[in-house]
Amino acid sequence: MTPMTPVSECPGIVPQLQNIVSTVNLACQLDLKKIALHAKNAEYNPKRFAAVIMRIREPRTTALIFSSGKMVCTGAKSEEQSRLAARKYARVVQKLGFPARFLDFKIQNMVGSCDVRFPIRLEGLVLTHQQFSSYEPELFPGLIYRMVKPRIVLLIFVSGKVVLTDYVNLDFFIGAKERSEIYEAFENIYPILKGFKKT
Amino acid sequence: MPGGGRCPDCGSTELVEDSHYSQSQLVCSECGCVVTEGVLTTTFSDEGNLREVTYSRSTGENEQVSRSQQRDTAVAYYQQAYRHSGIRAARLQKKEVLVGCCVLITCRQRNWPLTMGTICTLLYADLDVFSGTYMQIVKLLGLDVPSLCLVDLVKTYCSSFKLFQASPSVPAKYVEDKEKMLSRTLQLVELADETWLVTGRHPLPVITAATFLAWQSLQPSDRLTCSLARFCKLANVDLPYPASSRLQELLAVLLRMAEQLAWLQVLKLDKRSVVKHIGDLLQHRHTLVRKAFRDGTAGTDIGEKELQGRGQGQGQGTEAVEGSSLDLPEGKRPASPALLLPPCMLKPPKRICPTPPVSTVTGDENISDSEIEQYLRTPQEVRDFQRAQAARQAATSVPNPP
Repeated sequence: MTPMTPVSECPGIVPQLQNIVSTVNLACQLDLKKIALHAKNAEYNPKRFAAVIMRIREPRTTALIFSSGKMVCTGAKSEEQSRLAARKYARVVQKLGFPARFLDFKIQNMVGSCDVRFPIRLEGLVLTHQQFSSYEPELFPGLIYRMVKPRIVLLIFVSGKVVLTDYVNLDFFIGAKERSEIYEAFENIYPILKGFKKT
Repeated sequence: MPGGGRCPDCGSTELVEDSHYSQSQLVCSECGCVVTEGVLTTTFSDEGNLREVTYSRSTGENEQVSRSQQRDTAVAYYQQAYRHSGIRAARLQKKEVLVGCCVLITCRQRNWPLTMGTICTLLYADLDVFSGTYMQIVKLLGLDVPSLCLVDLVKTYCSSFKLFQASPSVPAKYVEDKEKMLSRTLQLVELADETWLVTGRHPLPVITAATFLAWQSLQPSDRLTCSLARFCKLANVDLPYPASSRLQELLAVLLRMAEQLAWLQVLKLDKRSVVKHIGDLLQHRHTLVRKAFRDGTAGTDIGEKELQGRGQGQGQGTEAVEGSSLDLPEGKRPASPALLLPPCMLKPPKRICPTPPVSTVTGDENISDSEIEQYLRTPQEVRDFQRAQAARQAATSVPNPP
């Protein structure tokens, strides 16, 4: 997958991917106690959480493995790395004696970040883009911008740093499914932010 | 509107004020018809700041009359929220917090500067719980809630300081005229806002710091010895934790402004002595800020050089010195302008995050057995682990000796 060339509107600023969340179905029942016993890189506290937490060094990621055979993989910096990591976790489970398969691998969410390098008057942005913005400094220092097309949530900070993400604490799950959506969202927000460069 | 008004569609008198896209509308709560759009704005500065003017302020009518209407609006929001199953099934704690949220939204729409902190204190609720419910309800009901009005908040918060009358805890030299203090505090808060000390921060601590400085500067000879903590104690106001930090930042701004005045430059002011001159500094604040600071938003290429030099201290970043000032001898020159940026952009970066090299991973690479086996325990290791687990179980199940 080749990255889209950003429009000249945003000089040399490309959002960096920071986290990818993906899921895959290993399609077999798993004995989590057995996995936790035989794997060095596994944590299992059934009283706290009903899944094994497993980690590998390369690509540096974390997986949640459920007894149903469903698995979540987090921490990768690209879609390809996420898939490679998920395959390695599946291999570990296979080596422990389970007939693990690799079905329905899917990227669930992507998080990117970048820096526009100028400060932003968040009070002004929330006034002119009220229908998309939520800025409550009593709760959180950043402005939460819910873009409609593409459906991305952006966290915009006074320092000019922008995080393009899903914000689960807001009681909903909206996120990028394609890398191009993150780039598109940034290209949409940049001219708006530039409008707030001058005080 | 208070005193009359019927919906032209259904004839109902149940009209509520609703804020939509920073504009006030009168909406019929029975059929949803928009009765009026826009509110008479009478203050030019309010219009300039895109702030709606409350009905009472533009007409001079008594605020008390609309109190019951406010309660009705808050109740209407609660009932609207209750139609959603997620709210109906929520715990009592959340429902109580929801009441606070509805009150907050109503107050915000009427420019009544009630803070979330105050509501949480009154409800004995946790701010985290309040936060979650508030964000949820705003999204659920699709509301546009206006921002907290800083000017109104300064007025109500300042008025709560118990400093306007002498008492056993407040000696005569600490008593201050309310209007004077309010006026000066407002100017200091405006200064803080202009110099990036307010954006992204909790509004209250800045106002606490500004109130303290305003109070001190009105009678510095008697009040410089009083600390921020003691000030809040005798004024019977809680000291918010970030206030000390805001105070330091505000004093730093004032010092930079003072450096632009020749007669103050020779005095070599510090954070204590500058307080004595706050009156003068505020009087000329617009000019002084313009001279003391230069735009930190100018162009990304200049910005890049500044940001690289940032780590070595601010002095490095000031290349653009006005020609005229170079003619003056070293000690008499006004200080070169500092970058006007939010404090978080002026601090040196904690650690340099190197951009990761472009990944060439395809996801289809071969996975070697040895790589996977490094994560598996050998049979001996499994036995050791099981023994250790059993020993830990035994240790935790042994009762403590009497």
